[in-house]
Amino acid sequence: MKNVQTEVLVIGGGATGSGVAWDAAARGFETILVERKDLAEGTTGRFHGLLHSGGRYAVKDRLAAEECIHENRILRRVASDAIEDTGGYFVTTPWDDPAFGDKFLEGCRACEIPVEEISPSQAFQDEPRINRGISRVFTVPDAAIDGWKLVWDCAKATTEHGGRVFTYHQVLGILRAGDVVRGAKVRNELSGEEFEIHADFTINATGAWAGKIADMAGCPGVQVLAGKGIMIAMNHRLVNTVINRCTMPADGDILVPIRTVSVIGTTDIRIKDPDEPDVTQDEVDRMLDDGEKLVPGFRKARALRVWAGVRPLFKDARAAETTDTRDVSRSHALLDHRDRDGVAGFLTITGGKLTTFRMMAEETVDMMCEQLGAQRACRTSADPLPSSKTGKFMWLGERLKEREATMHEDQLICECELIQRSSLERVMTQRSSTILDDIRRALRLGMGPCQGGFCMYRATGILHDVERMDSWAANRSLRDFLQERWKGVQPILYGDQLRQARLDDWIFQGVLDVEHLPTDQLDDHPASDRA
Amino acid sequence: MIEDLIRGSLDHCIKCTICESHCPVSRATPLFPGPKYVGPQAERFRTGDTSPDDSLDYCSGCGICTHVCPQGVKVAEINSRARRTLKESKGIRLRDKVIARPSLSAKLATPVAPVANWTLRSKPIRAAIETTAGVDRRAPLPTFAGRTFQKWARKHEGPKLGRSVVYFHGCSANWFEPDLGAKTVAVLEHNGFNVIVPKGQDCCGLPLQSNGLFDDATGYVNRLVAKLAPYAREGYDIVATSTSCGLMLKREAHEILGMESDDLRVVSERMYDICEFLLDLHDRGELKTEMAPLSLKVPYHVPCQQRGHEMGKPALGLFGLIPGLEVVDTQRTCCGIAGTYGLKKEKYDIAMEVGRSLFEDITGMEPELSVCDSETCRWQIEHATEIPSVHPIELLHRSYGL
Amino acid sequence: MRDVLVVGIGMSGLTAALRCQEAGLSVTLLAKGVGSTHLAPGTIDVLGYGPDLVESPSQALPRFIDGSPEHPYARIGVDALSRSLEWFGERFDAYRYTGAVDENLLLPTAIGSIKPSALVPESLSAGDLRNGGRFLIVGLRQLKDFFPALVAQNIANAKTPSGAGISARAVQIEPPTNGEPDLSSLAFARRFDEPEFLDAVAKQIGAHLDGDESVGLPAVLGVQHPHEVWTGLQDALGRPVFEIPSLPPSVPGMRLYEILRAQFEAGGGRVVVGAEAVGADTDGDRVTAVRVAAAARIKPYPAGHFVLATGGFGSGAIEMGANWSVREKVFNLPVAGVPEDGNERFGPRYFDAHPLSRAGIRVDDSLRPLDDNGNRVYANVTVVGACLAGSEAWREKSGEGISLSSGYKAAETIVEEQT
Repeated sequence: MKNVQTEVLVIGGGATGSGVAWDAAARGFETILVERKDLAEGTTGRFHGLLHSGGRYAVKDRLAAEECIHENRILRRVASDAIEDTGGYFVTTPWDDPAFGDKFLEGCRACEIPVEEISPSQAFQDEPRINRGISRVFTVPDAAIDGWKLVWDCAKATTEHGGRVFTYHQVLGILRAGDVVRGAKVRNELSGEEFEIHADFTINATGAWAGKIADMAGCPGVQVLAGKGIMIAMNHRLVNTVINRCTMPADGDILVPIRTVSVIGTTDIRIKDPDEPDVTQDEVDRMLDDGEKLVPGFRKARALRVWAGVRPLFKDARAAETTDTRDVSRSHALLDHRDRDGVAGFLTITGGKLTTFRMMAEETVDMMCEQLGAQRACRTSADPLPSSKTGKFMWLGERLKEREATMHEDQLICECELIQRSSLERVMTQRSSTILDDIRRALRLGMGPCQGGFCMYRATGILHDVERMDSWAANRSLRDFLQERWKGVQPILYGDQLRQARLDDWIFQGVLDVEHLPTDQLDDHPASDRA
Repeated sequence: MIEDLIRGSLDHCIKCTICESHCPVSRATPLFPGPKYVGPQAERFRTGDTSPDDSLDYCSGCGICTHVCPQGVKVAEINSRARRTLKESKGIRLRDKVIARPSLSAKLATPVAPVANWTLRSKPIRAAIETTAGVDRRAPLPTFAGRTFQKWARKHEGPKLGRSVVYFHGCSANWFEPDLGAKTVAVLEHNGFNVIVPKGQDCCGLPLQSNGLFDDATGYVNRLVAKLAPYAREGYDIVATSTSCGLMLKREAHEILGMESDDLRVVSERMYDICEFLLDLHDRGELKTEMAPLSLKVPYHVPCQQRGHEMGKPALGLFGLIPGLEVVDTQRTCCGIAGTYGLKKEKYDIAMEVGRSLFEDITGMEPELSVCDSETCRWQIEHATEIPSVHPIELLHRSYGL
Repeated sequence: MRDVLVVGIGMSGLTAALRCQEAGLSVTLLAKGVGSTHLAPGTIDVLGYGPDLVESPSQALPRFIDGSPEHPYARIGVDALSRSLEWFGERFDAYRYTGAVDENLLLPTAIGSIKPSALVPESLSAGDLRNGGRFLIVGLRQLKDFFPALVAQNIANAKTPSGAGISARAVQIEPPTNGEPDLSSLAFARRFDEPEFLDAVAKQIGAHLDGDESVGLPAVLGVQHPHEVWTGLQDALGRPVFEIPSLPPSVPGMRLYEILRAQFEAGGGRVVVGAEAVGADTDGDRVTAVRVAAAARIKPYPAGHFVLATGGFGSGAIEMGANWSVREKVFNLPVAGVPEDGNERFGPRYFDAHPLSRAGIRVDDSLRPLDDNGNRVYANVTVVGACLAGSEAWREKSGEGISLSSGYKAAETIVEEQT
């Protein structure tokens, strides 16, 4: 069997894994990152896009709050391209206790989170859609962060330092030589090829799936609870500032303006299997009602898509048994398996939140260095990611401005999200991916109001052309995309989005008749639903 | 708040492309990416304090997009508001400030109208104006009448009649077409209405609004409705012969400028386009229908702003009452002038291209005259076809034998 | 007061309005915007799948109706349907529709699927794949809504009922567009109306011709003069030419709208666009007027009879609110077929039959609206088109057939009522 040699193998392509790969590669380690699907297809691609200031934890969990503000400052420097400096408000709504605001102020100051109380009328001027019943408003340096941009930039940093990133590579088993982990056996899901990766050190950064990988390494009992949360993206920016409820953390208390949408989240329900998060009608109603409290008229605004993300919560044996996984420590857990299980060359990093991903990666690679006897310092707080070298933040109107310059040269394929043909072709070639959903994540293709109604046909045609696919594969790509999209859209079909869905039905079924495209033997085994 | 309702209406957009299929400007020039693009689509990329897309400036504000949208997106209104932000961030040219104040120039020019008119027809002077101020030398600037409708109204002693109606004459009737005002009064009196012409009516602010000067426009609207509101509150209807100015008070001041004053509200409720008013009379059996035949075959152009009234085409109903008159509805969407848009150097050619098929339809018929409810359209059409253009009221006036 | 007020200017509204006008009634046609014609491919699809591929709608319909007693066709009847299609075919002069209710053509779609349609514009008819053939599919580089290679490969793999083979290849030309890279179907269609442009394109295609291939293009062959453009291109190339409809803006749809609307206005019909019907005034079981939102006021439009042709969920005429309750927005007619709260509105897979899809207004055989108990709601209202309950038109490929036949049938009801 073919094998590939490297120094560090990182398993898991979410923020944590990508961060570890970036860190290790930047320290000069030969690194390979493997991910069973597309980067950030797990939790990182399904969060609400908030770069915490730490305000949310200032009262309840001071450690977490301090970590957040510390990392917030660093990421603004090194990952600026993935961040929009929206700022944040903590607001006391008619449903919140005004006295909590004082505790909040106190907590923020204790954690050194820059905070200021402003008058509600000033807040209403800047954010006219928020509830006029709000009685107190505090500003904090919350920001919006694009998880995909971030993760792909980490991947880019990894490859710029000589590392390699393998997406659609599933780990089949962890290789052991006695008590030492020596890498993994993987399968390329697209080609079917199986091979081994031989590494001096292996890092398990698979988040909610960490227990499964640890089991494979012969380190059982790594218990990671799966805390499911749903989020709904609303069609346009109802607000341009992150809005948080000024209260103890609860459901539906954050509204984040991220790229062209506003995201309301989230719930917290413990589920058994992180691959099977579902969305219930009840959760959807609750999120819409919660949105209504922050922005009156929210329910009448257009909901684009709903999805479920799974938080990894490492259960410390000392925490009390509880179904509200929010109460389990939100701080991360770095497991030294040499200590815990007598297995060397293997670490598990799990838990945490996206805001602290870099810190988690730093701690992990530090511990790895210690175990390897290597004296290498972390570079990630000093050296910006490749796209962030100018230090400029993302801003909403970027694509609109860029398009002005290219309007007469390049076709606009996804009109909702202003994506040009050249961008599509570039990503398709770079990623060599035939999965339209990957392109969606990379560029936001089909993530606007029409949810692919117009652009998906065009993208399929371009993919067929660029990737020199055969028509069977192109047809499959489109059908798979339509099914994937349906999962996210179906639970929120009311009002305008139902209208849109109906037009899209007329396009895909009435005009194109995708359902009756010719099928081959590969279609007899329909693509399984991917979580 | 109304701004939120306008911006929020972008949620209704299902990207069906109907608006851009009907947009007369994007059809005429690739410089304008179309109403769907600059309206509900680009609005998702704006934060309210910047509008990074300069191409938005090519929107003429004709409103056809909103008119044909089957989902209720306020496309034109979104564009107008975004254009204001764009212009504020870029600074508004002196040219725009001047051409947006027709009553101001008119006040200065009217006492010396012959000279003023001569000046504006002089080729070298127009060339100089084009170079310095950006008003295209070929653009159809109106001719000052040299006398005002207001002055005529002050002197006019109408018969004492049972009912009354208020006449909002607008800048055009006052400074440029006072005869139209007089004919309108005659037609109304013929139908039993005492015509009240409130003094001191100034501009409705529409050209200021379409040039992004929202604060100034609001000032003009406030002053105007202050003059008209007392009559509205007493229950008088208000008629307008300038269909665009009538629409400004009926709707645009509220939806585009975001004005919500009580004065504006009562005036809107009582505001009627003159053809709308007369056809409603007819539907109630109250319009005099003894009309002499007019042996004419004439083209009729429905201005964009008339469509904005959402009242159908009442002028066609009135024309149907005149024996011998054959009116051909050209069915073209726009003449191109769009208020002050087509006067500007960078837009004159686009405007002429937008109106091209309309002009060809009209000249092709070789008519004695054409008919149109909006004065700026009439001036554009006359400029392009060299055939006189009149308001529908003129045909009624003629047929009544007044 | 007008005899008839039709609310909605899609296929069903235009049909009802024209038929009533032909019968001598005075008609006003009111619409919020422009209708469904601009979004639909311009073919008249009567029944394509029921659930299997239908080769002959007239043969399949009786059984189909037996199996779906709540379907609009069950109310309208095969007889009225056939007459409506005949009537429709007679509306056209130079630019004609071909086909009949006895057999479906199988036309290629813009992705290369093959779709059954009963009546199609002349410029699409040579694309009939039932007997196989050799095809050259031509794309236009500046048109992003058409991918000739994908169309060619897919139709070549299609299985025709007769087993006849299809061979197809693709080519892309670059017509002169003054350097603009991104033009819509409509923008191209307007250019095709100009003879010089047509000539230039004909030359470009001519360079690629081989043997006896029929030539397929996206549906861009003129919007003002479609007959001249299509015949002109066929003559220039010396072989059959056909159009393939794609995403909106639908040029064949717009042609249809322009033709029907012009006929209606020429006959004295009044059209009011940009006017949204927001309610109705009633007196017992009769509607006396529809209330319409105009600028600054609500205007009542009284009439003797009212036709609801406003569309279904797609046009927002029937709306599901954020609290999951459903409402028909003009007359507040009861909406049938909405799954109860707690029950699924949609299935888990996109191509499933979804419970909500068949929701709409239930009618009797005269197309008057019924309530949940089967009683007539209003005596002088008929309901047509996409707001009717009982069909999943986009899956069955029956949308235009329902719109056309229901509009036609409603006019019959109205004329009867008047006499």
